[in-house]
Amino acid sequence: MTTKIMTATPISVAAVKAISDRYNEPAWLRQARLAAWETFEAIPWPTYKEETWRRTRLTGFKLENYALPEAEPEVYASREALPEHLREELAKIDSAGALVLQDGRAIYRELDEALARWGVIFTDLRSALTDHEELVRVHLGAQVSVDENKFAALHYALWLNGAFLFIPRNIAIEKPFQVLILQGERVANFHHTLLVGEENSEAVIVEDFMGSKEGMSDSVAEVFAQQAARLHYLRLQNLDETAWNFATQRISTARDALYRHLQASWGSKLSKVWIDLELEEPGGHGELLGLYFTQDRQHIDHHTNQNHRVPHCTSDLLFKGALDDHSRSVYQGLIRVWPGAQKTDAYQKNDNLILSDHARADSIPGLEIEADDVRCTHGATSAKVPEEYVFYLMARGLSRKTAVRMIVQGFFEEVLNRVPVPGVRAKLEAEIAHRVGIE
Amino acid sequence: MTAVLEIKDLHAAVEGKEILKGVNLTIRQGEVHALMGPNGSGKSTLGYVIAGHPHYEVTQGDILFNGESILDLEPDERAKLGIFLAFQYPVAIPGVSFANFLRAAVSSVRGYRDRVREEMERTGQFKEVGSELIPMREFRKELLETMDRFNVDRSFARRYLNDGFSGGEKKRGEVLQMAMLKPKIAILDESDSGLDIDALRVVADGINKLVADGMGALLITHYQRILNYVKPDKVSVFYDGRVVLTGGPEVAHMLEEKGYGWVEEHLDELEAKEIVNS
Ligand SMILES: Nc1ncnc2c1ncn2[C@@H]1O[C@H](COP(=O)(O)OP(=O)(O)O)[C@@H](O)[C@H]1O
Ligand SMILES: [Mg+2]
Repeated sequence: MTTKIMTATPISVAAVKAISDRYNEPAWLRQARLAAWETFEAIPWPTYKEETWRRTRLTGFKLENYALPEAEPEVYASREALPEHLREELAKIDSAGALVLQDGRAIYRELDEALARWGVIFTDLRSALTDHEELVRVHLGAQVSVDENKFAALHYALWLNGAFLFIPRNIAIEKPFQVLILQGERVANFHHTLLVGEENSEAVIVEDFMGSKEGMSDSVAEVFAQQAARLHYLRLQNLDETAWNFATQRISTARDALYRHLQASWGSKLSKVWIDLELEEPGGHGELLGLYFTQDRQHIDHHTNQNHRVPHCTSDLLFKGALDDHSRSVYQGLIRVWPGAQKTDAYQKNDNLILSDHARADSIPGLEIEADDVRCTHGATSAKVPEEYVFYLMARGLSRKTAVRMIVQGFFEEVLNRVPVPGVRAKLEAEIAHRVGIE
Repeated sequence: MTAVLEIKDLHAAVEGKEILKGVNLTIRQGEVHALMGPNGSGKSTLGYVIAGHPHYEVTQGDILFNGESILDLEPDERAKLGIFLAFQYPVAIPGVSFANFLRAAVSSVRGYRDRVREEMERTGQFKEVGSELIPMREFRKELLETMDRFNVDRSFARRYLNDGFSGGEKKRGEVLQMAMLKPKIAILDESDSGLDIDALRVVADGINKLVADGMGALLITHYQRILNYVKPDKVSVFYDGRVVLTGGPEVAHMLEEKGYGWVEEHLDELEAKEIVNS
């Protein structure tokens, strides 16, 4: 990127006010930010005494090390004008619309004109706030509340921008929308994603988080799958290996809605990711897929919830991870079936492949069932690459390295073959190949 | 040159327990050598040791391929020499497609990988990913032809390696791999067990075709049933970790008549005669 952060604002209540001033924000938002800041200050920093933080420590994390970006980066009017690496990145996916954000500023926006005419809104959240204030006001914070955790509160006080996708009733779009979220050095970024699929709509969105060297990302995503909507949300976390990453995500599904989620956690030094699926009306179906491949001293923590509040919903979760070097993963998941949520069918599985004697995977699957006519299955595995597999492949002429590579790639296949966008699948395969090491 | 695999006074142990107790055996290219023995006598162990399984420790003796010891070679290096082991129990490897795996194996065994690596070292330039593999079109064509010739369903290519395969499908899969890798010497470990008559015919037919093409086979079996379809040049009887009797096809018939009990009763006699080896 050519953009240099010339000045930066330290994180404080003054910074919160400065954002509202700078963008001349409506009063409700100004109030909300200040209230969020108060909540942030009121919530103590997490300690290991809280169950969700028991295995993930924030040792070394200091908020004062990060600042809000000040400079306005260059904005690009067309794809051709974009720097080559961004053009290449966007070209990997055949999309219906593209959005590029640099440190909370939309530097490129593109949307198929026909879709705009049909009422599809795909833009950065800041523009949506200007052009569709009511839509934003109704949805912002409706899923992830300010006091959910300390990072959510901080996020609501300081978010600059995000992605906004609104698909009107009965509109189905096959091609994905893609968002690139670029973060500069030492910057704190607070990306907010709002996805609204109205009745019987269909859409796929891909978000790719990149950069953030020595920085931090504190994002929130809120998804609204209304009646019979079909939404796919693919979140690729490719942050720099020196970044701290916090993400709070919640999805609600209405009657007969179908939701598919992928969380691919490749980067960051430490990640704490909450994904919460709320099945709020009968007939809903949610799938949560996860991938991670940790190296060095990376620490990746996923915390999921499959919340069955009503009868006749299904949910299916599969998280697969490989762990190398001294890295560590934590998976904590809960299937919660509320009283009366009969005919629930829920599945939850976390598989880990351990590639190093120093790597460690903690898996804590859980069930909390208060209805009697349900089917719930969960499980977790953690294993090394089986020597019998390696021998079989070597006996066919493959080197040990190639054999292990194939086995690891095969391990992820179960998730990869459920990824609906070929361009995303190719990206994921490349990330795996990169970590497994091409000969 | 006709390749020869010679096993000389081979002793091998697993977890400190001696399983092979002085095996002597010679397998030549173009020949079928049947090895018959009761369960638990160490037949599979012999196959593993020849293929270089790291679990088994050779404590005495040698394995020579064309006169050179292969004991220090890794399993993949042995495969590249032209040694193939058809497993009694092939493992299922989830997510690894039969075709992708086989393309990598064929490329390695036929030297594509080594050639690319040498070239990169010589020129100091990297070659693109995939250049170490046999070209896709060439491989596909050969794979389809081979599947047809060996009566293996074309759907195998897309499936994951042995994953969800029936016993018979696994054995056919082993024959298909063997047909693609074209080894000089193959050890077939109970490739006949658990097969219905149709599958047995397919497997036997495959072995016959490859032997006609010049492959040498060590046909490990518990029953003589497969020998009705694959005619052995030699038959050895394996008992308690060693070969106790070697002869022509008549040995198989005798064994069928008298059973392994007879071998046990006449063990001293057989060993005294020293009609071991060929
Ligand atoms: N990995 C192993 N660990 C321990 N014992 C083994 C192992 N492999 C084989 N054995 C033992 O070696 C003996 C011979 O086994 P095997 O070679 O499978 O015989 P066969 O193929 O003739 O039935 C058996 O007693 C078996 O229990
Ligand atoms: Mg056996």
